[in-house]
Amino acid sequence: MDVLTLLYAILIFFPVFMLWRWVDGKREQECYILDYECYKPTDDRKLDTEFSGEVIRRNTNLGLNEYKFLLKAIVSSGIGEQTYAPRIMFSGREENPTHEDGLSEMEEFFQDSIAKLLARSGVSPQEIDVLVVNISLLSAVPSLASRIINHYKMREDIKVFNLTGMGCSAGLISVNIAQNIFKTYKNVYALVVTSESLSPNWYAGNDRSMILANCLFRSGGCAVLLTNQRALKHRCMFKLKCLVRTHHGAREESYDCCLQKEDDQGRLGFHLGKTLPKAATRAFVDNLREISPKILPVRELLRFMVLKFIRRWTQIGSKGEGSGSKTGINFKTGVDHFCIHTGGKAVIDGIGLNLDLSEYDLEPARMTLHRFGNTSACSLWYVLAYMEAKRRLKKGDRVLMITFGSGFKCNSCLWEVVRDLSDGNDAWNDCIGDYPPKSLANPFLEKYGWINNEDPSTFVVPR
Amino acid sequence: MPPTLPDFSNSVKLKYVKLGYQYLVNHILYLLLVPVMVGILIEVLRLGPDEILNLWRSLHFDLVQIICSSFVIIFVATVYFMSKPKTIYLVDYACYKPPVTCRVPFSTFMEHSRLILKDKPKSVDFQMRILERSGLGEETCLPPAIHYIPPKPTMEAARGEAELVIFSAMDSLLSKTGLKPKDIDILIVNCSLFSPTPSLSAMIINKYKLRSNIKSFNLSGMGCSAGLISIDLARDLLQVHPNSNAVVVSTEIITPNYYQGNERAMLLPNCLFRMGGAAILLSNRRSQRWRAKYRLVHVVRTHKGADDKAYGCVFEQEDKEGKVGINLSKDLMAIAGEALKSNITTIGPLVLPASEQLLFLLTLVGRKIFNPKWKPYIPDFKQAFEHFCIHAGGRAVIDELQKNLQLSAEHVEASRMALHRFGNTSSSSLWYELNYIEAKGRMKRGDRIWQIAFGSGFKCNSAVWKCNRTIKNAADGPWADCIDRYPVFIPDVVKL
Repeated sequence: MDVLTLLYAILIFFPVFMLWRWVDGKREQECYILDYECYKPTDDRKLDTEFSGEVIRRNTNLGLNEYKFLLKAIVSSGIGEQTYAPRIMFSGREENPTHEDGLSEMEEFFQDSIAKLLARSGVSPQEIDVLVVNISLLSAVPSLASRIINHYKMREDIKVFNLTGMGCSAGLISVNIAQNIFKTYKNVYALVVTSESLSPNWYAGNDRSMILANCLFRSGGCAVLLTNQRALKHRCMFKLKCLVRTHHGAREESYDCCLQKEDDQGRLGFHLGKTLPKAATRAFVDNLREISPKILPVRELLRFMVLKFIRRWTQIGSKGEGSGSKTGINFKTGVDHFCIHTGGKAVIDGIGLNLDLSEYDLEPARMTLHRFGNTSACSLWYVLAYMEAKRRLKKGDRVLMITFGSGFKCNSCLWEVVRDLSDGNDAWNDCIGDYPPKSLANPFLEKYGWINNEDPSTFVVPR
Repeated sequence: MPPTLPDFSNSVKLKYVKLGYQYLVNHILYLLLVPVMVGILIEVLRLGPDEILNLWRSLHFDLVQIICSSFVIIFVATVYFMSKPKTIYLVDYACYKPPVTCRVPFSTFMEHSRLILKDKPKSVDFQMRILERSGLGEETCLPPAIHYIPPKPTMEAARGEAELVIFSAMDSLLSKTGLKPKDIDILIVNCSLFSPTPSLSAMIINKYKLRSNIKSFNLSGMGCSAGLISIDLARDLLQVHPNSNAVVVSTEIITPNYYQGNERAMLLPNCLFRMGGAAILLSNRRSQRWRAKYRLVHVVRTHKGADDKAYGCVFEQEDKEGKVGINLSKDLMAIAGEALKSNITTIGPLVLPASEQLLFLLTLVGRKIFNPKWKPYIPDFKQAFEHFCIHAGGRAVIDELQKNLQLSAEHVEASRMALHRFGNTSSSSLWYELNYIEAKGRMKRGDRIWQIAFGSGFKCNSAVWKCNRTIKNAADGPWADCIDRYPVFIPDVVKL
């Protein structure tokens, strides 16, 4: 071989090598969940019917009409007897929270769940490269993320982000940040910490749209450890396939339906408007429209298009009634499990109807709502933990997560299960045998149902 | 003869030696190339014209070889361009200019202070002393809700201030750049102490009817250095999303955070923090290459939260009466110096010319091996940057950094003047300072700018920009009507 050919061989080999390195680099950009830990507060924070009644009675601003409204709301909420409330409720100070209360509520969660997560996965805090914290209703100086860094003595060059105000869908926004960083940096660990701060946000007035938030939200939290290291693939639980975010803030009704503002007496509260279900449906449909082509098999998409075409063709002729609330696509062809944000019974029912899901599919979400209540952004992880505890997750299964948030946002993502998950989950292990319970009826009705029969003019608050 | 004269001539000689050394080390490659070129030239001349022609004819190129060569060249070029990190351009930015009606001159501030804190003359005195030495001027502004006696910090008022500041800055940015709201792909908002639900980013999306698949992020609680954290996040996102525009909005909403108690350490932020905001457009589109003002070179973040003292030096807490305020500890300056050192250690190797790095390395080695008493060599950052934008956190911060980095008065002029005219506007102060330098007509193509910001936690973040085109006198912007009055002399103490 003469020198020239050798030279050409080297020159061709070099770019091929660079190309291979570039392709290999792309493979290192996958986002995996190494482990996650759902926070289970101590038993002395459990909120049962008796105590709920006590809390309602304590609020001197409420009258009979509000009681009736609350009864209706709580009975139809789907929340059970074992949900957790912040400590401030048990000391009776919920109307006068101090800054310290908010912070100590969060610190209790940080010091518990993150430590357990890191210990179990064998990752030391100094190895964490990215920290994303999303707690919607509390922003402190230094940020809550800095508190975590201080407590666990994390590294100096850590990339830290503290998101607030983004509502119940912020969990997936944090995962989005981690996902984007994974595409630029190799071999990183990311810790996503999700929770909600309830202590400083109790509403003490009597505006009905704002009292609802008091009844539904409960304490909870989750810490998730993500990585993009392919070497750890065999230890990981889930792989992220795609994540879609939809923001309907441009529309007035969507933006105004979930708002933090002062009522007529100047008390700060969380207003949930009447346009909420419609805004949610609209955002949800938009989001589905974007994510369906990414997660469903081609066969199903073709079938849907053909069906829609036929339907429209026949409707032009017959001017038939509108096609009900079913979308017509069968999501079960591309998705095996559904993780639905436990915003309330209405949300779960609505999604079940829209996607044509069976009771088996909706069971994890309903049971999570019953056991933990609406824990805001971290509710999804409790639903996932239920599925894990029930040993439903097998290798290759696909899990669709759907959340809604103020603004109005709808975020969804698809995870693929990397290995058979048969270890159960600490958050559910002690009570999973009791689920699903025979009856989800709320004891509130039998205990306080007499309120419905009372007359406003003769009603006296029982002491 | 005064004894200082020999030293003087010595130091002049030393200066020239140093200059010569710097020139030598920084251009060493070029200097080595010269003898090589000379050698080749002599060799060629020796050969003679006939031999050269023979050499040329002997290289016969057939078709296969030409195709292979061109294929290889194209391939290598493509792979190189694809794997290069995308360049991030700062197309333009807009700073909010508060209306004159929100002005808080010293007399107004002291009058309000005396009326609100009428039972605590010592606290009033303390505020007066702080204001005298603060380096602020008479034209800084506070939001309308704080002008009430006592202030009325309702959520409505806070939202009102946010809308005023953010929408003005956004409108200004959109008109300057001609950007359509539908073209914004990424939106990052950072406001440390006010986070309503829905977030401020949702508020902007609502007002400007941005697209539904926008990627929005709302950072909060991250202090005065959050602006650079947002730039860092935008950079990471722009690496992943090609052909995108990112808008970063940095602001601080003062209304809900005005301290209403009388604990002294917590009254300090009241005297320094003022209304302000900035909106910045970043892009990775190649078409913006000609229009863009700056190019982002580096962003370096340092977080000292692991150290308890650093963590506790800027702390939000309740005082004895239960009023919430921000407590600034006494060793803030020392901690800032430490954080700066960490940041410099990372950024030094990235930006310093070879001459400085070599000197630093030699003195380090010398101190370790030969004699620990040698003075540590502080690298001369003036070699690496033409302009410095130091977060106008307060007069003490600017003084400390000027001393640490051995900067001249002209280098820190932008920071001092921004503090004088606008006060401490938290994360947006860096942009007011940059605008000052542009308004003075000092920004030339190729100039390098270093932005440094400190924040609670304790963080020190810095960003390095390179100027893309010479910026002629800016006719608009917050400095437009007063730039001719600056720089002003700011006395150490303004007697009130």
